[in-house]
Amino acid sequence: MPVRPELMEILACPKCKQPVVLSEDQLSIVCDVCRLRFPVRDDIPVMLIDDAESF
Amino acid sequence: MDSKFKNRVREQFGKTAQAYVQAAHFAGGKDLEEAVRLLQPSQDDNMLDVACGGGHTALYFAPLVRQVVASDLTMQMLKKAQEHLAEEGGFDNVVFREADAEDLPFPAGSFTLLTCRIAPHHFPDVPRALREFHRVLRRGGRMAIIDTLLPSDPEIAEFYQSMEQMRDPTHIRAFNEDEWTQMINDSELILHETLVIPKTHDFQEWAKRAGMNREEIQNLNKFFMDAPQKIHDFFKIESFAGEVETYTDQKLLIFASRKEKEKK
Repeated sequence: MPVRPELMEILACPKCKQPVVLSEDQLSIVCDVCRLRFPVRDDIPVMLIDDAESF
Repeated sequence: MDSKFKNRVREQFGKTAQAYVQAAHFAGGKDLEEAVRLLQPSQDDNMLDVACGGGHTALYFAPLVRQVVASDLTMQMLKKAQEHLAEEGGFDNVVFREADAEDLPFPAGSFTLLTCRIAPHHFPDVPRALREFHRVLRRGGRMAIIDTLLPSDPEIAEFYQSMEQMRDPTHIRAFNEDEWTQMINDSELILHETLVIPKTHDFQEWAKRAGMNREEIQNLNKFFMDAPQKIHDFFKIESFAGEVETYTDQKLLIFASRKEKEKK
């Protein structure tokens, strides 16, 4: 299940603290500044710098 | 946070998640009652519970606030907390985030209320976590930290640190009240009140919850039994036939807030 859009307001990149966005497929959370992609597992965003994927 | 240590924390709490979620010990208690009395949560509050563990604090506050964001470093713990919450009546105002207390993934000023219970002794850099708490709190936002209190007597403190690390290698260190006061002041939070709350532990249950095996528990039992009388008196160690049954330590509740906007 994707993350509820209203909850994106209280999420930020843990590295740069800038706003993050839902990916197009709504399955991950993306920081365009750090170019990091945070996975979502069992509805829970994994907002850990070390677990994020660089793109 | 150092990624090697972080992985140890995740391993430790991943394997013991179920025991933590089920621990009746955490579900209520004087510390939560006092936190509610001091924080005065309301339906206007947007709350963050950092290092939520089994979700007991989030669950306790959920009916009292608008929304709770519960974060923890360990996914297994979050999943168990999520399941536990659904079983307990499924509040729909609690959401979970896997996050590091020292690198919080929230914009500045997101929360009016912040709690962090029985967790900072696992943080490698508590001042850094406190700077993050300050950042994510809105101006005037209230905060309660509850953690195990390091005794001020050096000999008792040394015993305390050793026995906690024997039980759980991810226990880094507890702090005494003066150290906490200093760290709160350094992070520009306003300290309003501290409370010391005694907590009695069932020794066997407490040791097993951390995933200790029989031999490790026996060694820890011996460490307790061999301790000087001063330590037995301080921790009110109760034993029967050489087996520790209970001991009592102290929790510190810190009530603080972020400064209100200064009027010019």
